[in-house]
Amino acid sequence: MNLSRITCELKNACITTFAILLVACGGSGGNDDINTPPPVANPPAPPPISLEARNEAALLANQATFGMPWETLEDMARQGRADWLESQFARPVTYHRPTIVDIVRRRDAGEFDAFEDDIEYLIFARRLAWWHNTVIADDTLRQRVAFALSQIFVVSDNVDVLEVYPNALGGYYDMLLDNAFGNYRDLLRDVTYSPAMGVYLSHLNNAKADPGLGTFPDENYAREVMQLFSIGLFELNEDGSRKRDSNGDAIPTYDNTDIGEFAKVFTGFSFGGPGAVFGNNTEPNFSVPMQLFDEAHSPGEKQLLRGVSIPDGLTATQDVEAAIDNLFNHPNVGPFLGRLLIQRLVTSNPSPAYVARVSRAFADNGLGVRGDMKAVIRAILLDPEATNPPDAFTGGKLTEPVVRYVSMLRRFGARSDDGFIAALGYFLQIETLQHPLSSRSVFNFYLPDHQPSGAIADAGLYAPELQIIDANTVISWANFIDAIFFGDVVTDAPAGFNEVTLEPTRWLALTDTPSVLVDELNTLITAGTASQATLDAVVTSISEFPQPELRLALAVYYLSIAPEGVHSQ
Amino acid sequence: MTLNRRQFLTHSCQLGVALPTVASGLLSLGSMREAAAAVSSDYKALVCILLAGGNDSYNMLVPTDSDQYAGYQRIRADLALPREQLLPVALANTDSRQFGLHPGMTALQRLINDGDAAMIANIGTLVEPYDAIAVNEGRQRLPVGLFSHADQIQQWQTAVVDNRTAIGWAGRLADQMQNTRPSNGVSMNISLSGTNVFQSGRTVAPYSIRNNGSGAVAINEYDSQEPFGLNRRRAFESIFRDTRSNLLAEEYRSRMRGAIDQQIVFAEAMANASDLSDSINTANPLSLALAQIARVISVSDALGATRQTFFVTVGGWDHHDEVLANQARMLPTVAEGLADFAAVLKQMNAFNAVTTFTISDFGRTMTSNGRGSDHGWGGHHVVMGGDVAGSRLLGAFPLLDGPSPLDVGRGVYIPTTGIDSYFADLALWYGVPPAELDIILPNIGRFYDPSSGVSPLGLFA
Repeated sequence: MNLSRITCELKNACITTFAILLVACGGSGGNDDINTPPPVANPPAPPPISLEARNEAALLANQATFGMPWETLEDMARQGRADWLESQFARPVTYHRPTIVDIVRRRDAGEFDAFEDDIEYLIFARRLAWWHNTVIADDTLRQRVAFALSQIFVVSDNVDVLEVYPNALGGYYDMLLDNAFGNYRDLLRDVTYSPAMGVYLSHLNNAKADPGLGTFPDENYAREVMQLFSIGLFELNEDGSRKRDSNGDAIPTYDNTDIGEFAKVFTGFSFGGPGAVFGNNTEPNFSVPMQLFDEAHSPGEKQLLRGVSIPDGLTATQDVEAAIDNLFNHPNVGPFLGRLLIQRLVTSNPSPAYVARVSRAFADNGLGVRGDMKAVIRAILLDPEATNPPDAFTGGKLTEPVVRYVSMLRRFGARSDDGFIAALGYFLQIETLQHPLSSRSVFNFYLPDHQPSGAIADAGLYAPELQIIDANTVISWANFIDAIFFGDVVTDAPAGFNEVTLEPTRWLALTDTPSVLVDELNTLITAGTASQATLDAVVTSISEFPQPELRLALAVYYLSIAPEGVHSQ
Repeated sequence: MTLNRRQFLTHSCQLGVALPTVASGLLSLGSMREAAAAVSSDYKALVCILLAGGNDSYNMLVPTDSDQYAGYQRIRADLALPREQLLPVALANTDSRQFGLHPGMTALQRLINDGDAAMIANIGTLVEPYDAIAVNEGRQRLPVGLFSHADQIQQWQTAVVDNRTAIGWAGRLADQMQNTRPSNGVSMNISLSGTNVFQSGRTVAPYSIRNNGSGAVAINEYDSQEPFGLNRRRAFESIFRDTRSNLLAEEYRSRMRGAIDQQIVFAEAMANASDLSDSINTANPLSLALAQIARVISVSDALGATRQTFFVTVGGWDHHDEVLANQARMLPTVAEGLADFAAVLKQMNAFNAVTTFTISDFGRTMTSNGRGSDHGWGGHHVVMGGDVAGSRLLGAFPLLDGPSPLDVGRGVYIPTTGIDSYFADLALWYGVPPAELDIILPNIGRFYDPSSGVSPLGLFA
């Protein structure tokens, strides 16, 4: 890649974008409707926004959204955290399945004719829907929380059936979107009944023991629903610390006998829908929850946790509901789930007091309701440790590659001729080891307790995201950003979809004054945290070249890969 | 007392303080380091293949004597492999018991019969040696998080089963051997599968490479002499120069800085590595990864490394479902990957310098859940190398022809050999002095007396 080609391409791209921008001006094209000025004459000039307030809004955007353009940050700054949260709660859901249905319809109509008989576009459909919807969605908080949930309640397209049936993961994600602002008990039940989860953790077609055959119920879901989705391995205090027995040892939440009992509970599931029968594994139905079949369900009494038992003679549905209640009411859920969500949104190392505050919100939303996700999200995002990180040495988190990338697309006005933001995400997945619903195992892309050896482990701290940042991927991230801003690869759109370009008009207008450009990009990308040495280096670097496009691309590139561009605090 | 001594020694070693009386062991590790730096003919490498998810290894190696096979068939029910399909292997030391390999592993059958590989039976995570009486009385201490993937996969890498630690035993090796060595920055621990516990030490982290090209990714334009490249290098030097106060941001900074510097050294060395793609099946990802490892070994001199470890993950073994079909697809790639690796190492005359071994989260239940098997405990593993005394089965393969005291339910077999013993054999071969084994394997003393003069399993006997 040589310099003249880069600048030439950038100029051409920008000429095109300018033209489109003029036509599209007015806030259409899926932008946040906050941006649309109300149709009143001479609206009063908004009050000026302090740099501090802008940086605070940028921090909130890093924690709670998939990235916000400059104008929206200003609106968020005026609104303040609490009001912004409520406005996000009120937004309608941007579901992914309608987009999938449309892509599959176009495929079936032969629109992608080169691949008419191929399953390729069935595989692409849910990926295309994820990227398009996540980039354009106005309900970005809900999308971000659903993405966080997808990293706790993990399913993945590394299982063939889930890859080739677009409704499997598309439907699963819509279920997470639905429950993101609902109640955790409904979430846990819907996850349990989800056919995608049934395939992934193999409780679909899990049959009762057959003494004749010498078979036993599958223990997979029974184990992971406890270890990963609800209570974890050890009894926890409200603040997330482990309870200790009289010997000072941690107390396991369950043992293998409990696994066996819960395995019996989770028998009898199969695909639902018209004509459903137990054992069907040839005609998957991912459009409806799994159905329970009493004849395949283990009979008899089942011993749950904490002294609760299910009596003999109940239906499969009653058994499953009782088990979900048993887990839902376990005191571990608040601190366990609370810490995981804090890690996905705010910081890898919440203080015990922060976890305790979130646990209490889980236990009671103030109206006596347990499991209210909105109360949990409020507690996480309005906490002093989120708004005003208390410890500069240990605070914050490294932003996940997926969030970094979508944020770039949203901040710099990703667009296409028909408004569809087409991306497959394979490029990102290869370069950074992360892609939504593509984890290699149920343990997600990284573990919540990942401790890189050295200073972080010595300080007793955790840094999950560092598990996928190594000598290979750290450089690949830089080259990925390079490809977006210097190459011609904003997204990896498949044939049949319009090219996605960026529309950074506002920023190009600032390139005459490198220091102003860099200062404002510093707010947008790092929430104002880049060191002076970094800012100086970027200003010096971009001042070497006269071309506006090159100046902007360089500044974005450097700030995006700088430590402060990857670390959010 | 032990802990304090250990901490003291670790710190002293990092500071380069000589401890002539107390820490004679560390001094020997130190002299090994010096010897290693001077004598490349002493080169040795350990290659760890992680079968992530818990390989159902009771279908990888199956007893074929009629009584034992009948017991196997009874307990495995619908998961039993037909006896006539099993591949006979000549295992010299099994008291005339007969075993067969999974029908997809003809390449491993050849390796074993040629003496290039051995197997270990029913090995797993043990806090203390298996004791039938203690088990019977419920006194046998259990590993932390038994049956849980996250814990068990970690313990197989740390060799510490009674505690959670993020330090792997190859990491401890590298800490001891690389701490004070003047270094070009490229870790002696090299991973084809990214960050991992096995190779993470207190101070040494694995160096991650890809299985194609030089393996090391460069920042685009970084070596360009055009204005753009010069600009980029200058900016990087500034942005990634200063230590950051936040520990997470700092770790990212130092990884970027280190990766840029190491890539230059690594790619330069790898420029002299020969292309092995004609010698292997490039459609097999394990073959590709192992061939890349062979290429790195071929330039280990240029990298200044006389000891290296390598790590590669083959994922997807958690077969609660479709275990038969999946193993029929996946086990051949393991066997053929090993055979390709053995062939290229032999071409390089390096087969004796490299020992390759498998690990996995756990074995699986012998009983079926109707479609697959669930999380178990003991399982079987493969060790390959020119120094390995091949064609043998080490450890004790449980008798399956009747109720077994080892079966703790659902056909979960208590391991009769602990992973500490397995890794001790490997570490001793690698050159760790017996008196210092417990620096690398902290609990080895529970299983083995290093002053005994014999090796724990006799893998290399």
